[in-house]
Amino acid sequence: MTVAAGLGYALIALGPAFPLFAGVVARKPFLVLTLLTSTLFWLISLIILSGVWRVFLPIRSGAWWPYAILILTSVAFQEGIRLVFWRIYKKMEEMLDSFADRISKPRLCLTDKMLISLAGGLGHGVAHAVFFCLSLLTPAFGRATFYVERCSRMPFFLVSAIISLGFLVIHTFSMIIAFNGYDERKRSEQVFVPVVHLIASVMTLINLAPGGCVIGTPLLCFMGAVTLQYCWQMVWRRLSEQQHRQFSS
Amino acid sequence: MALVVLLISLLAPPSSPGSAGAAPPPPPVTAATLVYLESPTDTPGQKLVGALLDAAVFVALVAVVTFVLVALYYYRCTCFLKNYMRFSAFFVLFSMGGAIAAAVLRRLGAPLDAATALVLLFNASAVGVLSVFASAVPIVVRQGYMVALAVIVAAWLSRLPEWTTWIMLIALALYDLVAVLAPRGPLRMLVELASSRDDELPALIYESRPTVGPASSSSSYASAMGSVEMQPVADPGRSGGNQYDRVEQEDDSNRAMVEMRDVGGIRSGIRERNLEREAPMVVSVSGQSSNQGGNSQHAVIQIEQHEEGETTPLVSAASANNAAPNDEHRESSSDSAMEFEMFESTRGIKLGLGDFIFYSVLVGRAAMYDLMTVYACYLAIIAGLGCTLILLSICKHALPALPISIMLGVTFYFLTRLLMEPFVVGSSTNLVMF
Repeated sequence: MTVAAGLGYALIALGPAFPLFAGVVARKPFLVLTLLTSTLFWLISLIILSGVWRVFLPIRSGAWWPYAILILTSVAFQEGIRLVFWRIYKKMEEMLDSFADRISKPRLCLTDKMLISLAGGLGHGVAHAVFFCLSLLTPAFGRATFYVERCSRMPFFLVSAIISLGFLVIHTFSMIIAFNGYDERKRSEQVFVPVVHLIASVMTLINLAPGGCVIGTPLLCFMGAVTLQYCWQMVWRRLSEQQHRQFSS
Repeated sequence: MALVVLLISLLAPPSSPGSAGAAPPPPPVTAATLVYLESPTDTPGQKLVGALLDAAVFVALVAVVTFVLVALYYYRCTCFLKNYMRFSAFFVLFSMGGAIAAAVLRRLGAPLDAATALVLLFNASAVGVLSVFASAVPIVVRQGYMVALAVIVAAWLSRLPEWTTWIMLIALALYDLVAVLAPRGPLRMLVELASSRDDELPALIYESRPTVGPASSSSSYASAMGSVEMQPVADPGRSGGNQYDRVEQEDDSNRAMVEMRDVGGIRSGIRERNLEREAPMVVSVSGQSSNQGGNSQHAVIQIEQHEEGETTPLVSAASANNAAPNDEHRESSSDSAMEFEMFESTRGIKLGLGDFIFYSVLVGRAAMYDLMTVYACYLAIIAGLGCTLILLSICKHALPALPISIMLGVTFYFLTRLLMEPFVVGSSTNLVMF
């Protein structure tokens, strides 16, 4: 394998993030700041998690339950982080709104809020892809590739790139769903996000079984697609509602 | 933009001597290793003491040189200073840059005969020296050379032994804190002196492109000085270089608009500046992330703003074109062209080249371990810069840019290396992710 392969893996993992960043986020400084903040948030959460789990690592036994516990705690912690992020965002939005009132400018409109949540989610997703895939990708630029014992059909880098892609999509768009859910106080959306995250994470447990990556990876991508679809429906509903309201008023 | 380029270009040199492997890197002979040269066989205690000594000597040297420079500036020996800077810039570009270019060429296995290489190198450094001084050189070229200088020096410095590097970074951050914030600190004196004379700072500074909107009169010249965020180079070899705040004329209005994009720190410049002048102005920063949108018309709003300057562009973006808030503001610039006439002078935020150098030393040192630490350090440095900018808006005078970023970066490096790496590698090699 050569540079081309390494670049290809990197693009598989981060490809969708590039147009999102260049087309949406990079145009506004505030969105870039949001993205950086959320990336930093995710990194800190990862460091705290790994600090906690450092005592138990490395897991030597081939059993799957330590990984299950690990995933459960991690997902729970990260959803907690998402709540914290939401709180901070809410405070900032209030400040923004009061400021906008002071200079008699209109407040943040719906699309602005959605853009902010998109940037936040993209930050999470990019951080995930960078730390779980891109940072392990260095050997892929060399002449060899690497196969995990349990997954002998696909190179390790390819699998991790595809998994990262799935998680990038899930993280990015579940942030929009979550923020909208918190905003509207809708139970279903608030629950949907952790559930999707948990299911997706549990699906990576399938990879522990011999040859499981052939099944687990497509399932994960399917979860990403489900998130995307749900998010799209939600955004469409909100936008059309808003249009109706504007039209009637 | 600059940091990213820096990072990428920095990653090549450190990895090339390391992966070349066959020839051990030559023992670095710099001021930082005058006292003690680390060898891998020493005990940690020995290394620590030696590194501390090294750092102390280095910081003392830096402090002495800075004081000498301040004294020279105080007695208005600007001519000598300028020539000295010229010489040092040429020296850095020619010898250090030459050595690094040779290493890169050797690594790539690209054959190049000595005469051609010399001519190329000489030409490149001559243009570099000119661009550092002459105000007629396009600002992109100058910034390119600034970045090149920083990269060269950083690549050179990252050949230092590991312990020395870390201790030295921390010591320099502390020194920076003292030198800028202490009442008689040399850098603080320098800044005050420069702003009282309404003069350019005698230092190599990465300036953030002060620009005037395309519609404003072409005669307006940005003479506003007094740095918001400034750090004279804290390195003995190459403290110097004059920066002329030069206004980009409207010949390339496209780029001027790009330069109008601002970072969150915009308000700090405005607020500080506001105390001295009444005319509202645009302050544009394109320091570390050139890819940020925003329009200069927001500066009008931001002048009144106090706490959350970085948030305004979104607000005003929403207000500027309600129908399509996502719209790129380049298009709308023609509508708001009239507003530009209000802005009389511009001023950028300045970041000393020394900061860039030490940021990149940190990142380069992290790159020698793993890519993961690089990303973590990079994020931490940017976060530190953001914190510094926020503090800047509160304190309203020149602040050291090193301490917060370096401390965060070092902390994140060790946290990542000690805690996160085994975790992430352990779970992802089992293809378990979350």
